[in-house]
Amino acid sequence: MVSVRLEKVTKKFGKVVAVNNVDLEIEEGEFMALLGPSGSGKSTLLYLIAGIYKPTSGKIFFDDRDVTNLPPRERNVGLVFQNYALYPHMKVFDNIAFPLKIKKVPKEEIRRKVFEVAKLLRIEHLLDRYPGQLSGGQQQRVAIARALVKEPQVLLLDEPLSNLDALLRVSVRSELKRLQKNLGITAIYVTHDQAEAMALADRIAIINEGVIQQVDLPEVVYNRPKNMFVGGFIGNPPMNFVEAGVEYNETVKLIVGEDSVWLPQEYIEILRKLKLQKVVLGFRPEDVLVLKDERQVEPGSSVIRGEIFTVEPMGREVLLTVMIGETMVKVYAPPTQYYSMGDKVFLQINPAKLRLFDPDTTIALEYLVKT
Amino acid sequence: MKKNIFSTNKVQLLIFLLPAFLIVLLFYIIPIIITVYVSFTPMRNWNIDKYFNVIVGLQNYNRLFSLITRDPVARQVVMNTVVFVAITLAINVLGGLGLALANFFIDERVSTGFRTLWLLPRMTPIAVYGLLWYYFFHGSSIGMLNSIAMSLGLIKKPIAWGQEVIPWGPWSIIIIVNGFVGVSFGMVIFYSALKSIPRELIIAARVDGASNWKLTTNILIPLLRWHLLFVTTWQLLSLLTTYAHTFLLVEWGVVSRTYGQTWALYVFNTAFGRGEQDQGLAAAAAVILVIFGAILGWITVRALGFNKMITKPKGDI
Repeated sequence: MVSVRLEKVTKKFGKVVAVNNVDLEIEEGEFMALLGPSGSGKSTLLYLIAGIYKPTSGKIFFDDRDVTNLPPRERNVGLVFQNYALYPHMKVFDNIAFPLKIKKVPKEEIRRKVFEVAKLLRIEHLLDRYPGQLSGGQQQRVAIARALVKEPQVLLLDEPLSNLDALLRVSVRSELKRLQKNLGITAIYVTHDQAEAMALADRIAIINEGVIQQVDLPEVVYNRPKNMFVGGFIGNPPMNFVEAGVEYNETVKLIVGEDSVWLPQEYIEILRKLKLQKVVLGFRPEDVLVLKDERQVEPGSSVIRGEIFTVEPMGREVLLTVMIGETMVKVYAPPTQYYSMGDKVFLQINPAKLRLFDPDTTIALEYLVKT
Repeated sequence: MKKNIFSTNKVQLLIFLLPAFLIVLLFYIIPIIITVYVSFTPMRNWNIDKYFNVIVGLQNYNRLFSLITRDPVARQVVMNTVVFVAITLAINVLGGLGLALANFFIDERVSTGFRTLWLLPRMTPIAVYGLLWYYFFHGSSIGMLNSIAMSLGLIKKPIAWGQEVIPWGPWSIIIIVNGFVGVSFGMVIFYSALKSIPRELIIAARVDGASNWKLTTNILIPLLRWHLLFVTTWQLLSLLTTYAHTFLLVEWGVVSRTYGQTWALYVFNTAFGRGEQDQGLAAAAAVILVIFGAILGWITVRALGFNKMITKPKGDI
């Protein structure tokens, strides 16, 4: 197992910059998710680590070994694809044995290792079949076995669960996590599915337009997004954003329409330093209390007025789309209340959970002060 | 209610099928019947009135057999055909594969031009293309090969390659000329097949440690299996029956008639050539060629497992 370090890595395809000046360190034995929308450069980043692409500039290290210019076969990485990429003309056994055969490992040892890894992935009974005779889940196990059999230094996974159906995806997901922890292998996992990244990863690197947006623990990425992109990408539905004015008096408060929003002390101090006139208020759908009656509002707490646009019952809760002025936000409400379109509601935002962003740079204010 | 598509509208079906059916009937089925019939008549010099209604049984086949066993010129035709078809087929299939692989591994922008270059012999009219080789192999000092060899000091005076260097001179020329035409066919088929292999499969093999060579032998060629089968069978059959280029080379005297004449050209020359034209014999030779082609085609298809290609795959894909 090794740590992986990328230093100022840039990859251009013609004029298109797929990966832009990326610094990233993945620790030994860590499960890192590369999360981003399609076309964000996350797969390119993975292929750079695998050695399929050479960076236009920058360096890649496995521990302290500079692998920037090494071809894939000298890097000893395992790679698992979304479409499995099993060799269709080889039986499962030969598929798994292929990397060892290339390395000219003795036949007996190949047999032993293939059976060992097949047992680990519970596919011993499939070794004599062709990939075309297997289900999607079985094929993906074979692909993982093929990646693991050569005892790679790093395991790279490129959206490995995307082709599986929803139920299977969740079960293979937890198996994958156990497997990675038991083997203690360094793993880098590319996905566009934020739920998958949250569930699997030790840390998440969010990437957009070739630039790393934030690298942090899943809960930090979720609770303290570094910018509006991260907040708007993570979470389902994602974070809500509402533009707000700032009023500086003896205290500092936000003005949304006719309503005032009181701020926690942390943000009051930051705003006094930054002296912004406008901010973007961000809050998650679950961090809101939906009140139907103004009399329910606790004195001293701040609420924002809105009107219900749509109501979507989800079973455990109801997802409401609420119009605040011209802005649409999504909030969760308990199913014990009855809501209908056009109802006036009062949204009481948990002050500890609200986030403020600079409208110009889209960066969260607390990160703006730190740097 | 399910409707049988065949019962829906017979008139409509007929309209769609008729043109193709007429073409097949007019240009394939009727000529075959006529050829087989003529092979049982003593037809010569296109004297249809005199010979068309005379049936001589297997006389033409007997003559053909005794020619092959006794006449050295006819025997040479068989030899020419075997050598020409075997070597040109190998060049067409292996050369096409080699070119396709070369194209696959080099940069896309370069390979487009490269492929166009190799298609030129196929795009050029046969007479123009033949003329190029005529000047290349010409027996006097205006021949390009001769002038190059002489200026390099390899030979002192010009050599008529297709007439004097027997038999490999004429053989090499007809193989080279037809090989250059045929190789592009395999190249186009194999290249497009290589391009349709999922990119992930190739990346996976690279990550698994495969070099270009291992990738080619372990992944690419096995995946080209059906294309190899197709190109081999197709080229085998077309080489057995092709004669246009060879005809010109023989007519223009670049290649010796004895050593440049293949079976297909022999059929043509016997029926349409100079001197006495013997359509009965030519028809018999043509029928034998078709039977041979059918048998060889069947063997190739069998040996390479064509039936496996057209059976349904097991399991879901």
